[in-house]
Amino acid sequence: MAEAPMIEVAGLTKRFGESVQALAGIDLTVQPGEVVCLIGPSGSGKSTLLRSINFLEVPSGGLVRVAGKRVGFREGEGRERRLGGRELAAQRAEIGMVFQLFQLWPHKSALENVILGLVEVRGMALADAARIGHELMAKVDLAEKMDAFPEHLSGGQRQRVAIARALAMRPKVMLFDEPTSALDPELVGEVLAVMEKVAAEGMTMVVATHEMGFARRVSHRVVFMDQGRIVEQGPPEQIFGNPQSERLKRFLDRVLV
Amino acid sequence: MNIDFGFVIPYLPILFKAAGMTIIITVLSQAIGTVLGFFFALARMSNIPVLRGVVWTYVLIFRGTPMLLHLFYIYYAAPAVGITLEPFTAAIVAMSLSTTAYNCEILRAGLQAVPRGQIEAAQAVGMTWPRILRTIVIPQALRVIIVPYMTNFISHTKGSSLASVITVPELMLTAQMIYSSTYRAIEILTAAGAIYLILTSALSMVQLWLERWLRYDERGLSRRRRRQLLLIERHG
Repeated sequence: MAEAPMIEVAGLTKRFGESVQALAGIDLTVQPGEVVCLIGPSGSGKSTLLRSINFLEVPSGGLVRVAGKRVGFREGEGRERRLGGRELAAQRAEIGMVFQLFQLWPHKSALENVILGLVEVRGMALADAARIGHELMAKVDLAEKMDAFPEHLSGGQRQRVAIARALAMRPKVMLFDEPTSALDPELVGEVLAVMEKVAAEGMTMVVATHEMGFARRVSHRVVFMDQGRIVEQGPPEQIFGNPQSERLKRFLDRVLV
Repeated sequence: MNIDFGFVIPYLPILFKAAGMTIIITVLSQAIGTVLGFFFALARMSNIPVLRGVVWTYVLIFRGTPMLLHLFYIYYAAPAVGITLEPFTAAIVAMSLSTTAYNCEILRAGLQAVPRGQIEAAQAVGMTWPRILRTIVIPQALRVIIVPYMTNFISHTKGSSLASVITVPELMLTAQMIYSSTYRAIEILTAAGAIYLILTSALSMVQLWLERWLRYDERGLSRRRRRQLLLIERHG
């Protein structure tokens, strides 16, 4: 692909305190429209990597670029500087994020959750935002639940609202942090179906997941992480059909039973 | 001496006026204490160690010493360093200082009860901190805050009787003055107690109403809100 990459991660490291090295030097490039699945055992750094891409974690070293722009820092004139709150917020508005525990706002209805960003961040009029919200709620198949509060939605419905909330900002990239790990097994499918729909529309997606079926079926590339490093990556058929490293083989043996 | 509550009736206007003073000093100092307490709570949660330390020390001192002492200090001790205040002003200052310490801790507990992930979700859609505070954190914190906050408010209402010692003509001082000249302590103190109970009951009612109001998910969206969100027809 000749296009400029959508996400560029270079030499990314993250330490928590003295002893924990969550990321030990990650290099990853994601092209526009590419769907990348991050797989690996718990604590391998998948979440930390995702959270570093929109600066919810401040990296200890290395850099992240999204759509060519350095995330969290201003470059040039020699020294790098942390961005102020406003500039950082503007960057984050371009990066959609879906969390393992949904994190819908409980004091807002489903529709209000979806459009809050449009109203508060983009300054859109309520009625215009509502129209977009209606479309998105229909897209995630929840047109009937627009005025329901999160409390009254199932886990799968909550996560679909959360996806609509992220999509409402028309992000350049969508990050999914184990979006189905907190769901009852029978609710996983409906969320994956929505994600597949989003992928089919050409969204650039990075998905940390334990759903190997989804990774195999939907992703263009699978990245296997362990102990804060990328151990192996490639197209799904290679990763699942012909794993190269011992660690990946052991991991797949354990998860694909 | 026989007890005759009819004796109280001619004194009721004076007692009501005094109750008005009780309301004024209580509400005014609580209002100041809420605003200051809110900013102190934010300061206590900030990542500037000095700020946190200053507020922590403030709370330690003002929550840890009697309000009666604050009143004496502001009214009787401050003139020694050249600050002389009217009884009313001194009461407002002392009572505000005291209730600020409690409100700071109550509000902080509420703000910190909002899960980190809620804030991250707001950051992820691109909201700045003041906006997150206003639209996400405060509305959720209210639910946690309301019970301890109103408890402190009620406690503060009763505590306002201490302002009598610096000659603020509030309910307690007025009651004392009436019974010390008439020797009708039972009648007057009962009347004063009844008035305090009415005031605190009113606050309990407000609390009930607020708690109900904050059960947004049970109540559902208002008609007006539904219209704004295009969930029902404009004239529906």
